[in-house]
Amino acid sequence: MSQRSLSRLLFAIFLVALIMGPGPGIYLINPDPENAEARRFVLGVPIVYAWAVFWLGVQAACVAVAYRRLWRELPKLNSGKSDQ
Amino acid sequence: MNGVSFSLSLIGQAEVSSQLGGVAIVVLVIYLVMLLTLGVVAWRRGRTTEEDYYLAGRSQGFIVTVMTIMATFFSSAAILGVPGNVYKEGVAFMLFALNLPCAGACIYLFGARIRRIGQKRGYVTQGDMIADYYGDSAGLRMLVAVVGFLYVLPYVIMQIKAGGHLAQGLFPGAAEAFEQGAMALSLVTIIYVLIGGMRSVAWTDVLQGFLLIAGMLIAAVATIVTLGGFGGFFEKVREIDPQGLALPGPSGVYSPWKMLTICVFASIGSLVQPAQWMRLYAAKSDRVLKRSALVFSIVLPACFLFGIMLVALAGRALYPPEMIDGVLTAHPHVGEFDQIVVVMVKEQLPQMLGLFGVVLVAILLVAVLAASMSTADSNLHALSAVVTRDVYDRFVRPSASENERAWVGRFTIIGATLLALWMVRAGHENADFAPLKMIVNLMFAAIGFSCQLLPVTLDMLFIRRGTRAGIMAGMIAGIAVVFLFTPFPDLLFGRDGATPVADSVAPLRSLFDIGFTGFVVNAAVFALVSAFTRRLDPERTKKLALDMDVSSPE
Repeated sequence: MSQRSLSRLLFAIFLVALIMGPGPGIYLINPDPENAEARRFVLGVPIVYAWAVFWLGVQAACVAVAYRRLWRELPKLNSGKSDQ
Repeated sequence: MNGVSFSLSLIGQAEVSSQLGGVAIVVLVIYLVMLLTLGVVAWRRGRTTEEDYYLAGRSQGFIVTVMTIMATFFSSAAILGVPGNVYKEGVAFMLFALNLPCAGACIYLFGARIRRIGQKRGYVTQGDMIADYYGDSAGLRMLVAVVGFLYVLPYVIMQIKAGGHLAQGLFPGAAEAFEQGAMALSLVTIIYVLIGGMRSVAWTDVLQGFLLIAGMLIAAVATIVTLGGFGGFFEKVREIDPQGLALPGPSGVYSPWKMLTICVFASIGSLVQPAQWMRLYAAKSDRVLKRSALVFSIVLPACFLFGIMLVALAGRALYPPEMIDGVLTAHPHVGEFDQIVVVMVKEQLPQMLGLFGVVLVAILLVAVLAASMSTADSNLHALSAVVTRDVYDRFVRPSASENERAWVGRFTIIGATLLALWMVRAGHENADFAPLKMIVNLMFAAIGFSCQLLPVTLDMLFIRRGTRAGIMAGMIAGIAVVFLFTPFPDLLFGRDGATPVADSVAPLRSLFDIGFTGFVVNAAVFALVSAFTRRLDPERTKKLALDMDVSSPE
């Protein structure tokens, strides 16, 4: 996979993690406080908390891949190389 | 709890408080001596140049860079304000931790370019870079300085306020503990910033950073162990009311859209504030920033989600907030929302670990102090650079000697601290004065202002289509919008006078982050005005882009 494709893929995954994690994606699991039958826990842990931990893992993985595969270190200033 | 056991519990708490007072003083003295020693050593290692005072000679390595960026990011808001809001709003506010990888990634994505051009062209403040890019003008420099001031003031206020809260927690019976704690924090911070500059601030940030990372994680471990391990902990969490286990939280404030805009804009806004910008200039290499970005993105969210936020969640189960006259109020045993961590560690650890627990509590409470001081010092130091270089040196006395500028910087630090101290005292004396009541409100107000530097940052680093008139018009519009959302209208016009303003912005405030709202207006005005005003010289823009070592736009 080229650097540009990987960069776009990671950006897309990171964006999805933001939309799904703290964003409107949370409506998929957010328990209704008025509904006594709503599922508020998963494996004994509050479901919103588990959701946050999962998407945080996705975000951190994106940063880790970018660190290893994308982010360059310039040996010196003005080497003339592109940063893209 | 029956009457006898309640009395025994009170006697036990009194003993703990008295033991804690003595141990806390010893731990506090050791910590302060270490800080001042680091400050003096940094001062002796430094040279007397302005660049060394403000940027530590642009030679900061990985450990110092990552710890100073994290410690500046981790203010009292992280260790008191954010848990205070988790205690108030339940799991809804735990999603706030997802803002940190955004900020972490930007340490490299923004930082590498800012560092390269800063080193190449000798920038010290962000005003230097913005003025060089768009063409120097009094208005532009002043505007950037004003944004810096509007960010720094609320941030310093909240750190000083945290010092007061901490003193209250450590010495509950002492008269004027809040005032004395706030003054003590201000005084020590001023001393080591004045003597050592950036090197001193960064070195002390390393100590403070380690302390507060350890504090956030140890507090969680202690709370989980006290409640009988993970099983017991989450069993207790099951007792939380249904509103506290879902969005938008018991107050109905944190909708997913609001959390999303907070996670994107509060994080990046915090990174483009003056003190962090100077840390990007001060890094030794791209490699330092790259490694800092990775560590920041993993360690900080872990400290929140697996650390201090769990303490607050247990606090909500143990001391549920109460609805009194339609207002969500902290449990009487806790007093104020921001006190939840102090109450939890102070009560649980000594019971569990005896004297060792008391020592641990003292260390944890000093970690709170460390969080406050590490942010206050960085912001005061950055403000002195902004006032000295962007205002005094340019417009008041361009011929001032380096010695004279150093004194102006020192007086700025002292003046800003006194102003913040006065505002904290005013807020504390008037218990009904809502704007200064919760640390997290001050945090969002401050970040809202720094978000107004985001369009100009994005334009300089990536887009390169803006004009000076565009950037100035955008920033003025953005600042005006954020101003309406902050406590400032209350301060200026009184509560009654500000009511129409508060009513008119209430719908937007409930939907989105303050900084995001200002950013949208700022970016729209910026784009519009830039489209109708004279473009920057393309050759000049190309040279600037090359100094960031990126390709100029076609």
